[in-house]
Amino acid sequence: MEVEKGKTAKYLKEKHIVPKKVTEQLKQFNRTKKSILNALKEGDKTVPQLAETLNLSTHEMMFQLMSLLKYGLVETGEMDDMDEYFYYKIKSDGKNKS
Amino acid sequence: MSIQKQMKTLEYDVLVVGAGIAGGESALNLADLGYKVLLLEKELSIGGKMILLSKVFPTLDCAACITTPKVSEIARHPNITIFTGAEPQKILKKGSHRFEAVVLQKPRYVHVADCTGCQLCEEACPVSVTDEYQYGLVGRKAAYIPFSIASPRAAAIDIDNCTLCGACERACPTKCIDFTQTPEEFLVKIKSVVIATGFELFDPLKIPRYGYGKYKNVITSMQMERELAPTRPFNTVLRPGDGKMPDNIAYVLCTGSRDKSVGNPICSQICCMYSIKQAQLLMGALPMADITIYYLHIRAFGKGFNEFYVQAQDMGVEFIKGKVGKITGKENGNLVVRYEDIKAGTVKEAEHDMVVLSVGVLPNQGISGVFENEELQLDPFHFVNQVDLMASPAKTSIEGVFVAGTASGPMDIPDSILSGGAASAETTSYLRKESL
Ligand SMILES: Cc1cc2nc3c(=O)[nH]c(=O)nc-3n(C[C@H](O)[C@H](O)[C@H](O)COP(=O)(O)OP(=O)(O)OC[C@H]3O[C@@H](n4cnc5c(N)ncnc54)[C@H](O)[C@@H]3O)c2cc1C
Ligand code: SF4
Ligand code: SF4
Repeated sequence: MEVEKGKTAKYLKEKHIVPKKVTEQLKQFNRTKKSILNALKEGDKTVPQLAETLNLSTHEMMFQLMSLLKYGLVETGEMDDMDEYFYYKIKSDGKNKS
Repeated sequence: MSIQKQMKTLEYDVLVVGAGIAGGESALNLADLGYKVLLLEKELSIGGKMILLSKVFPTLDCAACITTPKVSEIARHPNITIFTGAEPQKILKKGSHRFEAVVLQKPRYVHVADCTGCQLCEEACPVSVTDEYQYGLVGRKAAYIPFSIASPRAAAIDIDNCTLCGACERACPTKCIDFTQTPEEFLVKIKSVVIATGFELFDPLKIPRYGYGKYKNVITSMQMERELAPTRPFNTVLRPGDGKMPDNIAYVLCTGSRDKSVGNPICSQICCMYSIKQAQLLMGALPMADITIYYLHIRAFGKGFNEFYVQAQDMGVEFIKGKVGKITGKENGNLVVRYEDIKAGTVKEAEHDMVVLSVGVLPNQGISGVFENEELQLDPFHFVNQVDLMASPAKTSIEGVFVAGTASGPMDIPDSILSGGAASAETTSYLRKESL
């Protein structure tokens, strides 16, 4: 089969079945990402505040939020009054299209 | 099974297995002497554990600043060929100065030579999974550059987590992503082999009473190393359990070392010193923080080590001679450490907001099974046996096979480099004998 450069994923799709777990994981990530970004649109929040809003464990929230920080969707803001937790906010450089 | 004929055949003077600092040093020395070297690394980047460290004891030099020039020298050397994502499947001794290896290279799904490292594929990829190069602290994409100072600094596709949506390919300006790649096997003919497969870290899940996995603010020293590195997962040192900036951190030394009950009776040699290093770095990063180190004995035997230990004490790090029995989590994420105060002879409890387990060095045993017709002997602790430790420390039980670095036992970076040097010298003298 002739394979076109830049369109090779199609070719592998015929041979390799994407596990259900992988598509489920992606859906879950998209849901969490959307809810985190929506919650942050309403105002800057700390990890415990976000965890409470989304009803997730603080540990899971930390992991997801730090991933979004790494992907350039979120940035770090000020520290809270107790000097314990940072606030996080939507990144302002317009990269975030969702 | 005999080695098949249809495999692509390659010829080199030396096969170096493992591209950590020890294997890298051996390869570089041999290449400088004019020998052709094939350097195999199973990960996506060369540099081993060292490239992922923050700073190094006892000089507190930045690890990346020392590793990066070395790694690029290795990568650029005309006499060194590097295969990443590659491991030997078997190695056969065919005679004096004659070995044959079958090497399996996993597909990266990216043509490394054409990848500019622009990260546009990463940005386009919708998938987020756990980043193993950040020891699970944060996510990464399925199309990803392992870490920013990786060598080669090229993307790879994590096929197990890829949805084959093609977004990365569409975003890639150089069209170097290629899902038609398949695993490749090579038949490699060499005259000599250097084993530099390094060490494994002790898995603290094996000590359930320390609560690792259960309490998210109990982390390993390698995770703290990442938190302190310039390429860190968070914006600063934070608790993975809830993002709080810690101000009272405890270290538990000898986690999984000098402990017969977990099958590792020996001292890991590096944990005392890297913990003291991290304590000093934490005092710099978090000036208000209290740091406590629970230890059995401090092993500060190397050059400059004792001074480094005293320096930490002078900075205010608290050292408690105590055996930690149990760690319990509190509602607010803090941890109660129950320990036997050895000097006072009593059991005490102390609260900390983060605990670092100084995990020990374990042997990477897999390599011995690769040798098919001769036995690569292991020592009683399952490291590669040095059959002539006093006279030729790099010699193994197979003539023409040498060992470098932590593959032969726990050691720090300077000793791994020395050992890599010794292995290359012994390999050279072996190779010279052939031409006599
Ligand atoms: C938390 C922590 C902090 C540390 N801090 C310091 C410090 O400050 N100063 C200091 O001097 N030392 C420090 N060390 C010790 C240092 O990491 C080691 O001394 C050094 O990394 C050993 O290098 P190595 O090449 O022997 O092994 P590794 O770094 O383990 O490299 C081995 C390489 O071989 C590869 N490999 C393994 N098996 C195969 C195979 N079958 N095929 C192909 N490739 C294979 C591995 O992927 C790896 O890249 C620290 C260690 C830890 C855990
Ligand atoms: S094809 Fe795979 S790696 Fe590429 S963008 Fe889609 S999920 Fe990510
Ligand atoms: S694979 Fe393509 S898009 Fe990804 S870093 Fe390399 S050149 Fe850039």
